[in-house]
Amino acid sequence: MRKVGCGVDDKGEDTMIDSILLVDDENLFHLVFEDACSLLDISLKLQALSSADEADRLFKAWKNTPDLKPECVFVDLNIVGSSFDGAELIRRINYEHGNGVVIGIISSSYDRKEMSKAVAAGAQFWIVKSDEIEPRLEEFKNDYPGYKSRTANFKVYS
Amino acid sequence: MIQVAEDAKRMLIDIAEKQDMYVEGNILKLFDPGDDQEFRKYVDVAIDRDKAARSKRLSVTKQVQNQNRELIFAQQQNEKLMSDLQAALQKAEDAKKIVENDLDNLQKRNQFELINIIVKVSLWMIVGVGILSTGMYITGMVTKSDTTLTGNVWSNIVSILLTNSFSIIGTIMGVKYASEKPKT
Repeated sequence: MRKVGCGVDDKGEDTMIDSILLVDDENLFHLVFEDACSLLDISLKLQALSSADEADRLFKAWKNTPDLKPECVFVDLNIVGSSFDGAELIRRINYEHGNGVVIGIISSSYDRKEMSKAVAAGAQFWIVKSDEIEPRLEEFKNDYPGYKSRTANFKVYS
Repeated sequence: MIQVAEDAKRMLIDIAEKQDMYVEGNILKLFDPGDDQEFRKYVDVAIDRDKAARSKRLSVTKQVQNQNRELIFAQQQNEKLMSDLQAALQKAEDAKKIVENDLDNLQKRNQFELINIIVKVSLWMIVGVGILSTGMYITGMVTKSDTTLTGNVWSNIVSILLTNSFSIIGTIMGVKYASEKPKT
């Protein structure tokens, strides 16, 4: 059998992220992210949303059905057309909707102030968007078990 | 993992051989071929084809994403240029208005100065003729000469001066008021 996986767990086996939620207003990036995740065997299931409000509503709904909740969430910093930014969405997911998900920012910004704000909201990582997103996602994939077990520190992938 | 039934495996392999069609997507990663070498080969080929297709799509999507980004940047630049152009146009129009206004004022001033000169010259001429006729009339009276003609001339001149004095003074005042420099 072909081995697929995301990072290496405590038993030394490859593990794959069960499901990923991407919240980003740029629809083209949804395709880029989906293909990159598939090629890197990061996750089998991927849901992409264009609005922070929609993500907020879904997380409220998932309080009653936690099985539907994604395992990992990637949030864009500036989500055009939403009532609040990515850092605020992370704060809501972490502090209002009970969390348990691995969550972080994926943005073209490299603003230290925004990073501090995201960390305060509970972001575990920050991936800088660029044409070469695959190496960053691959590095993230290797670090993923640490995020899942909440032992890894905040890291910027740039 | 998904255990695929034997008849389904054969059907998939058959379709691949005859029609060159393979299962696509992440579901392939869940297929467990077990010890079936033929189906393992099918899954490997399907995964490789899927990856190639995804790689191609990823590359095209990135290209479109870059072009889109460049277009957005160009659009922003265009909007900025348009805004700058409109501001420059507005400035030029304002400057044109100021110049036109200055030119108009200059023309008016020149006209008023000309009128002023004409009025002054006319006044001096009338006053001069008045003084001359008065002088001639006085001289005639002192030398006991015939003053009929000079008396009539003097009388006419004085009546003209009296009847037109208000009009002349009004004109002079008007010209002075109009030709005054605007207060800054």
